[in-house]
Amino acid sequence: MNPRRKQRLYLTLLGVVGFSLIIGLILYSAGQNMDLFYTPSEIVNGKNETGIKPKVGERLRIGGLVVEGSVRRDEESLDVSFDLMDSGPIITVTYTGILPDLFREGQGIIAQGHLTSANEIKAFEVLAKHDEEYMSPEVAEAVKGIKHVKSDYSKTSDNTKG
Amino acid sequence: MVPQLGYFSLVIAMVLATMLAIFPLWGAKRGNVQLMNSAPTLALGAFFFTLLSYLALTYSFVVNDFTVSYVASHSNSLLPIRYRVTGVWGGHEGSFLLWVFIYSIWMAAVALRSKAIPLLIRARVLGVMGLVSLGFYLFILLMSNPFESLLPYFPVDGRDLNPLLQDFAMIIHPPLLYMGYVGLSVSFAFAIAALLTGKLDSTWAKWSRPWAVAAWVFLTLGITVGSWWAYYELGWGGWWFWDPVENASLMPWLITTALIHSFAVTEKRGIFKSWTVLLAITGFSLSLLGTFLVRSGIVVSVHAFASDPERGLFILGFLAVVIGASLTLYAIKATHMKSYVKYTMFSREVFLWGNNIILTVATLVVLLGTFLPMVHKELGLGSISIGSPFFSEIFGYLLVPFVALLGVTPLMRWKQNKLATLKKPVLIALGISIVVGFLMLTLTRSEVENMALLGVILAIWIMISTIQSVLAKKEVQQKGVAALSNMTGSEWAMVLGHMGFAVSIIGMVLTSSYGVEKDVRMHTGDTVVLAGYEFEFVQIKDITAENYTGHAAVVDVRYENEKVAHMVAEKRFYTVQRSAMTEAAVDAGITRDLFVALGEQFKDGSWALRVYHKPFIRWVWFGGLIIALGGLFAMGDKRYRAKRQSLIGRKENEIEQSDLVPEVQS
Amino acid sequence: MSTEKSENIKKLMFFLVPLAIFIVLVGFLLKALFSDPRTRESAAVDRILPQFALYDLMDDKKQWTQDDLVGEPFLLNVWGTWCITCDQELPYLTELRKQGVKIVGLYYDQEIDPDFGDTFDMQQLRIDVKDKLSRLGNPYQFNIFDNTRETLLDLGVTGAPETFLVDEKGVIRIHHLGDINPRVWEGKFAAKYAELKSASKNSDGGKL
Repeated sequence: MNPRRKQRLYLTLLGVVGFSLIIGLILYSAGQNMDLFYTPSEIVNGKNETGIKPKVGERLRIGGLVVEGSVRRDEESLDVSFDLMDSGPIITVTYTGILPDLFREGQGIIAQGHLTSANEIKAFEVLAKHDEEYMSPEVAEAVKGIKHVKSDYSKTSDNTKG
Repeated sequence: MVPQLGYFSLVIAMVLATMLAIFPLWGAKRGNVQLMNSAPTLALGAFFFTLLSYLALTYSFVVNDFTVSYVASHSNSLLPIRYRVTGVWGGHEGSFLLWVFIYSIWMAAVALRSKAIPLLIRARVLGVMGLVSLGFYLFILLMSNPFESLLPYFPVDGRDLNPLLQDFAMIIHPPLLYMGYVGLSVSFAFAIAALLTGKLDSTWAKWSRPWAVAAWVFLTLGITVGSWWAYYELGWGGWWFWDPVENASLMPWLITTALIHSFAVTEKRGIFKSWTVLLAITGFSLSLLGTFLVRSGIVVSVHAFASDPERGLFILGFLAVVIGASLTLYAIKATHMKSYVKYTMFSREVFLWGNNIILTVATLVVLLGTFLPMVHKELGLGSISIGSPFFSEIFGYLLVPFVALLGVTPLMRWKQNKLATLKKPVLIALGISIVVGFLMLTLTRSEVENMALLGVILAIWIMISTIQSVLAKKEVQQKGVAALSNMTGSEWAMVLGHMGFAVSIIGMVLTSSYGVEKDVRMHTGDTVVLAGYEFEFVQIKDITAENYTGHAAVVDVRYENEKVAHMVAEKRFYTVQRSAMTEAAVDAGITRDLFVALGEQFKDGSWALRVYHKPFIRWVWFGGLIIALGGLFAMGDKRYRAKRQSLIGRKENEIEQSDLVPEVQS
Repeated sequence: MSTEKSENIKKLMFFLVPLAIFIVLVGFLLKALFSDPRTRESAAVDRILPQFALYDLMDDKKQWTQDDLVGEPFLLNVWGTWCITCDQELPYLTELRKQGVKIVGLYYDQEIDPDFGDTFDMQQLRIDVKDKLSRLGNPYQFNIFDNTRETLLDLGVTGAPETFLVDEKGVIRIHHLGDINPRVWEGKFAAKYAELKSASKNSDGGKL
């Protein structure tokens, strides 16, 4: 009986120690790989909930509307830059590569990347919303109550795409 | 008319399910044989009427009946007929009907295949399944009726099926996955029936195990096909995105993998009973949780259906009742469970348990990574996302001890093992895998990546030790290779399952380490070189089809001046659904895939193209298929077949014996 | 005997761990289910209607400005014929109109995208609108066509359908994202509307 008990105790102890070690490791790694979500104005003014501002070099996600007429293409390469806004401050996003199929000016998008200066992000991923009826909750939240800058966008004006 | 009939049969099916949930369980409690005997008939009846209902919706799709709201928003008269049949599961309501239909298939299967099981258990298993199905029927009838009518005003044409779903893999992916998800309810029902009866022994494990394996085979296939689909259809060349909905399918798979191994221990040695029961409950719980994730809109994902808090609330309530009650029952009954079998630390069972723990931890990692963003937000700390680096990192750490145990365990004996007998084979296997792995990479690759080296060594280690475990069998040593034909289904399952896993690992690590991709801007006539392959952008064509228009880029690929592939990558614009699709061109090969996706056109007439070279990526899915094949062998094991033979050639006395109520509780 | 009992309780505690984990998870899921980001406060609320001068959807000659709208509490409903969810709410909105609620439509068309072979045809659009409203019910006193989408952006509209409750002075009191159904109306609009209605000078006006 006794050695059996002892053995059980060891097994349990081993389990408990191993388990807490693993959980600790998981949480640590999760913290390392966690990207906070910001809107352009939150990057400038700090997060609504906590007031935290991202540091230059931090990896983050940003969601906002692509400012009309702000998409600038490089003549030779796939470099592209565009401005994002929600309710005032503007953040410039640079990206190299293929933009998603439904990337359009005036649309809500989410980008993931690193903050390279106070108002610039180098993105490694850009996601566009699917259609007009559905908007990802994150974007919907981000572009809520936009006070936009007047633009002379109209249906007949030529499409700045491409 | 047909849609109304469809709805009506669903109502009948629910009535039958209600009876199934009451009578057999009541009969089991009172020892009423007649009530208990009603279970199979009721289950088959529920299946029949659900089938009718499913056929009714399919019919509405095929004949373009746009008076049905669901058909109007998920089909179109221009949609090819094959997609009209599969469009049934293109949206929330229809896919839930498929879910319910598949559930009724499993109920019917249990009803037909459980004649050898004591009546008391059989009635309880089917009763529990009926009880669970009640929630599903209520949900579909009250909150997501696929037959909802648009009468008297209906559109002339439908809104078309999401183009992402207009694809072969998507035809088979949801049914396979649902077969897996829903199939877990069988081993769940067996677990609950066993807890109710208070008899958790090796016979219970023996009855329940093939059902768990069957569901697991479908899950494996579903996940494999899903990964393959995401690879070529989402257009970004990845094979796993750690998307919440993908995670929702991975969690039950991990737990069920642990379950079928734990079943082996419980069946052979009669121990880990409470652990096995817990895994059986958890497996189905996670599949319900996955349903909740997909259908409540709580997470953002490409797979998620449009959100509806009421639906979410219903599923959550259902989830809370089913899982909460099961876990409470478990806590009460497990307290009184005892095992009298002895084993030592250094034994097969303990090592299997170790791997069970690692699989459970892996599940927790996925659970945490999936739900942490939600918890973080609910705690008022702001929205976050947890990307694939988190999962890759932790899974990387977990893989090493997991594979180490996986390699040693098949060589070990039950009960207790001497360290000395293991030393030799382990050292040999380790030596071979390190040497072979190192040689393989140095000879075929210009650079040796550490992750790739580690992965290949681990994979070879699994393969070698699996072969060793076969060779170590007494029979094989006496009779040689001829003895292989005498190997049982379970033994083959182990060999194939582990080999398949090794094959997948090789695919995963080589693709991740050596895959290269390039986004380029090209004019027609331009070439780009990637991993020795020369991609020439030959021309661009305009394309028009029934329900889309678009462009197609023609790319010729040469390797060492020899033409190896002619690829056509498309960009489609689905006019009715108003969505754009990147239809990538893939040139598949055993050792490498070439992949071209077409981007947008620029003002100067050039195009954005994305080209990939993905070494060994097929191995990821090929391994998945081998694993599933292993599962099929396990299902065909003689131990379980004995039961089936008695099914076919049943004699009178056998019926009496097997249908005898062994123990009646009052 | 008692040691066995305490042993059993200890065991029970251990086996209750999965249940405890599950309960915590359900708690969070429940909370998350109801913290739909779309129910958050909108920046448009408590602000006055933006200035605009837009044409009537059905009549090129009729122009509407924000001043034409004010005078009594009303609903400003953002919609489009292309929007499926809007179809769902039209019958109920029509019912509300019958109860005396003034509803003005703010129409916007889907983005014209040459990639999808889109061309803009006002004539066709009007036929579509008439057809839809005659089938599902017409809740609108009139429809304003925001062809440039500027007013929509001023209002902070992110999609369709969305509905604003505006008081008689032209101040936005409620901004709702998603469809209006009996549940939403009773839970979110009804009380506020009744309050505004009684405060409004023409409170007895059942006629619109």
